[in-house]
Amino acid sequence: MKTRTLPLLICLCLLLIVGVAHAQDERGTLRINHAMEFGGLESLDPISQYRFFDVNARLYNRLVRADAQGLPAPELATEWSPNDDATEWTFLLREGVLFHDGETLTAADVAYSFNRIIDPAVDTPVRAVLGIMNRVEAVDDTTVRFVLNAPHADFPLLLTDYRALVIAEGSADRIEQTGNGTGPFRLETLDLEGTTRLVAFDEYWEGVPQHGVVEIFPIPDATATLQAFLAGQIDIYSATVAEVPLFNQDQVYVQYLFSGGWEGMVMRTDTPPFDDVRVRRALRVVADRQAMLDLALGPNGGTIACDSPVWPGDPYFSQMNCPQDIELARQLLAEAGYADGITVDLYLSDLSQTWTTLAEVYQQQAAQAGITVNLNMTSSDGYWSDVWMIEPFTFTSWGQRPADQILNEGWRSGADWNETYWNRSDFDSLLDRARSALDFAQRKELYADAQEMLWMEGGALIPYFTNTVRAVNNAVTLPEIDYDMVPWWEVTVNR
Amino acid sequence: MPRPYGSGPGEHMLKLALQRVILAVFTLAMVAVVVFATTELLPGDVCTAFLGRDARDVERLERCREERGLNRPAVERFGEWAGGLLSGDLGTSVIRDRPIADVIGSRLRNTFVLGIAAAVVGIPLAVGLGVLIAIKRDTALDVTISSTALFAMTLPDFVTATVLVFIFSFVLGWFPAVTLINVNAPIAELLPNIILPIMVLTFVMVAHIMRLVRTSTIEVLASDYVQMARLKGVPFRQIVWRHVLPNAMLPAINIVALTLGWLLGGTTIIESIFNYPGIGTLLLNAISDRDLPLVQSLALLMALIYIGLNLIADLLTLALNPRLRTLRA
Repeated sequence: MKTRTLPLLICLCLLLIVGVAHAQDERGTLRINHAMEFGGLESLDPISQYRFFDVNARLYNRLVRADAQGLPAPELATEWSPNDDATEWTFLLREGVLFHDGETLTAADVAYSFNRIIDPAVDTPVRAVLGIMNRVEAVDDTTVRFVLNAPHADFPLLLTDYRALVIAEGSADRIEQTGNGTGPFRLETLDLEGTTRLVAFDEYWEGVPQHGVVEIFPIPDATATLQAFLAGQIDIYSATVAEVPLFNQDQVYVQYLFSGGWEGMVMRTDTPPFDDVRVRRALRVVADRQAMLDLALGPNGGTIACDSPVWPGDPYFSQMNCPQDIELARQLLAEAGYADGITVDLYLSDLSQTWTTLAEVYQQQAAQAGITVNLNMTSSDGYWSDVWMIEPFTFTSWGQRPADQILNEGWRSGADWNETYWNRSDFDSLLDRARSALDFAQRKELYADAQEMLWMEGGALIPYFTNTVRAVNNAVTLPEIDYDMVPWWEVTVNR
Repeated sequence: MPRPYGSGPGEHMLKLALQRVILAVFTLAMVAVVVFATTELLPGDVCTAFLGRDARDVERLERCREERGLNRPAVERFGEWAGGLLSGDLGTSVIRDRPIADVIGSRLRNTFVLGIAAAVVGIPLAVGLGVLIAIKRDTALDVTISSTALFAMTLPDFVTATVLVFIFSFVLGWFPAVTLINVNAPIAELLPNIILPIMVLTFVMVAHIMRLVRTSTIEVLASDYVQMARLKGVPFRQIVWRHVLPNAMLPAINIVALTLGWLLGGTTIIESIFNYPGIGTLLLNAISDRDLPLVQSLALLMALIYIGLNLIADLLTLALNPRLRTLRA
């Protein structure tokens, strides 16, 4: 009995301390973790390379968000239209939107926020996505005009980027402390090594937030994060399929979300033997993608991909078939002069849990067509700087991106992350034409051609898109949508 | 014939102590060099660790390295850090842009709170059990306690931790599974969070100390003066407290010091499993961030604690054991 009362007493004391310190909001507290991805440099500046994702998503708003179909939907902007050649876009702003400090949102704030992204004096990774902007002007209080360097028919989609958030005019040098945005929660305490607290912003334009407080704790260690979730100390956990059996069905529920994130193997199309399109194709058609998916991720783990990075949830996704074809692989290799088989070195590291499994499965599948795959395990430290895009055949992984963005970031000639060294003016021209085509059907056709080209000739073996597996405490109602699209104000916490 | 106490042995003590101190300083210097060299040899640096695949942007990578002074030769950076150290300045964390002393501050306190609490629970328990099973040696009690302690020691600490978390957090819900409080939180708030870590640490450390105390107690129990005391009819309890315990503790001082050093130097795995905001977790983060100055300072600090405690143990043994401190003329 004695051993039982002591911990109870201590817990009671703790409850008292915590209870006195923070008066609880009756709408409930959502508790989440962050992985200290940037070691304590996490920034409330939305365009900083150290952007504090979980917090910023609640403090600020975008102009445009992506809806369930992947199409742009209103957020701070209510409507938009391009000029005749899609080089200028005009956005109308929602009226009566308030910042946390009580000021009203105006076009000047929006122009200021986006001009920062293209200001050469500001170092931001968002320029890779929105560098196409030439200048942003406030036409009147509620109208903003974006002038682009080149035509872009899907410019609003680019604005759905999770970092394209709006701050108040002239607030850049204070934003890291204030976090003053128009989002559903406002900053109460920022403590990167302790608890960061956000509280509901009741004047939020979309509606009164359904939970009162958000607490964000740093947990750098992956096992500790799982432990915290299992013990009910945090409410949302980004899981893997393998972890699902650990969850107690009475306390948590699991969501499987289709996502456009993917992992795969990339060949440098500028380096022998991968400069021969027949070798590349042979190396890709030997893959049994369903087997890869089943073995690497398990049931509900993902959806099949045919070497195109455009995912099934994207409006420009093009349905293709990519069955395993050992005969075709042998034939292609023979034509390329490797009738007796070919040996390739594949580089990987343990950065991702599934790379090793995927590599071993691929090794077995490729052997059926006389392809010998040597696996080279390298250090996970420095993998992105010393191995990836340097060795001719490496593993890679990408987060979800809209078609235009991923194809331009990863496949346009000379792009920073053009990991297959894909250098094709005809491909670039498809992308350019898609950007200037104001008709959706026409754009869809052009993107379909681009995807087809990657499947026939490309250097990336993309076997599947990874599902997002999310475990949520029963007390929390989380809509089944992508994490960075969740309307946080609607989430309820009943505890 | 041993010399009586006087200036002679005192001088000798001083000389011995001085020797140990010099040796300790030398060891620390070596630790500093080795830690610097090995972290330098690891692939990647602060900038590649942070930028990830953004490091493909050579311009940005260069700018990052420039900002954080990584372009200077390794020897120069080491020299600067070591120089600052001599004047009591631990330097600046390359990532956190804050003085290292400031970054370590409260975390060192937290580690000490956990370490001392674990020592207060674990060490007396181990000594007590050691004496107990020495007195009851070769009985069922001895066998049970010895084998349980050995078993607990053999289990890796992360396994013990997981089992305890499962029982006390998931099933019973008595204690938090991981620590989710501010680095600077008052000690009262730390307490509920350290109960599970203390249990794990106790499991790990008890066997070492207990076995040693058991052996030395058995030796002392068999000694002439204990026999004499028994023959003179001194109550057994008094013999144990007055004669056995102090003498049996002597050989245990060193292992106690080692254990304390291990506890206070940050039990990295335990801290990490429980997300405890001490210097152990800080070291892990610093390594994965390639925050070299912070890694160096932490390694040095841990070495300092370890060496310092061992030094104290050595001197204490010398002071308590006349045979060691007396000149063999």
